[in-house]
Amino acid sequence: MIVQGALRAGLGVAFALLASGMIVAAFAGEAAARPVALRALFGPLDLGSRLMGLGILVLGLTPVLRVLLLVLLWVREHDYRHAMIAAFVLLTLIVSIAFGVPA
Amino acid sequence: MFGRQLVLAGLGVAAGLLGALVGVGGGVLVVPGLVLLFGVDIRVAVATSLIAVVATSTAAGSVYVGSGTANMRLGMTLEVATTLGGITGGLLAAWIAPSVLGALFGVMMGITAVLMFRARESHAAATATEGPRAGWEDTAHLGGGFVDERGAVVAYHAKRIPLGLALSLVAGVASGMLGVGGGIIKVPAMALGMRVPFKVAAATSNFMIGVTAASSLFVYFARGDVHPAIAAPTAVGVTVGALLGTALSHRIAPKALRRVLAVVLLFAGVQMFLRVFGVTLGR
Repeated sequence: MIVQGALRAGLGVAFALLASGMIVAAFAGEAAARPVALRALFGPLDLGSRLMGLGILVLGLTPVLRVLLLVLLWVREHDYRHAMIAAFVLLTLIVSIAFGVPA
Repeated sequence: MFGRQLVLAGLGVAAGLLGALVGVGGGVLVVPGLVLLFGVDIRVAVATSLIAVVATSTAAGSVYVGSGTANMRLGMTLEVATTLGGITGGLLAAWIAPSVLGALFGVMMGITAVLMFRARESHAAATATEGPRAGWEDTAHLGGGFVDERGAVVAYHAKRIPLGLALSLVAGVASGMLGVGGGIIKVPAMALGMRVPFKVAAATSNFMIGVTAASSLFVYFARGDVHPAIAAPTAVGVTVGALLGTALSHRIAPKALRRVLAVVLLFAGVQMFLRVFGVTLGR
């Protein structure tokens, strides 16, 4: 099914980013764990933290993808009521993500 | 650095493995593990745990063919409340003192431990029936049916939806504040409160927890509570452990393991609780 494939792809990308970030960070010998806010991912940052941070972002987006696919699936099945319910959940998730975007 | 990554991944594997074998989410083990063993700030630990919950939920969703017995429509309807709760919980966590959060977590661990002593059917056993699509959903009402292990067709309708929504909101807040999946509230809410068969409730909850965790995760991410160097190895470890545990769950009887884990949870829960009084045992 498309959903399985999409989730696996998302997971694969996320884990590739996490793993490569961990390897880069280990070789770069970063001393201490540093907090990384979402918006800092797109600014100046060491490569290891950036890769790991992007991996976490992609990971966090996989449930969002899952909900989006369900919206589309239920529209296709003409179940508009549940498509709208799912769209509301999607909107809630997007609002949550928006917290991380600089005002 | 590499050594620390390895240790964190090891903690993750242990948490994921035990969680999958026994039927609790990894979160209830990851947070105290990070706080008590590594001295990590609880909000960072919660953020890490939420990432792990998303990882395992997505991994489970990508492995199991079809949705099995999960009722996506029911799950999504309840998620309206759970995601709002998740964001609320995530925001509230900034206003509550870390030690108080720890104490709340300790209480939750105690409740989980008690429930584990009393559990007759394990989460793992329920989700082990996931496989080729054996269920269906009734689109008109929140109901559906599935074929149980004896080949009998079981039909159901979800009742008392407002109650389910209210409990889902609570589960969402708990997830957002404490970094757990919330299944400990959601499954009984669906099974007992909404008269949904246990297997459907468990499978649906597994689908929901990833969405809930994502809703609060981004609040933590925005606030800078995510430490990639801690979260990355832990999340990888928990996912590996959970997949391993799910594969092994057929061969290992959970009962004895559950008892041992319940005792560990109780002990760790007491430690988490006592920290609010400035009492630290051991370290």
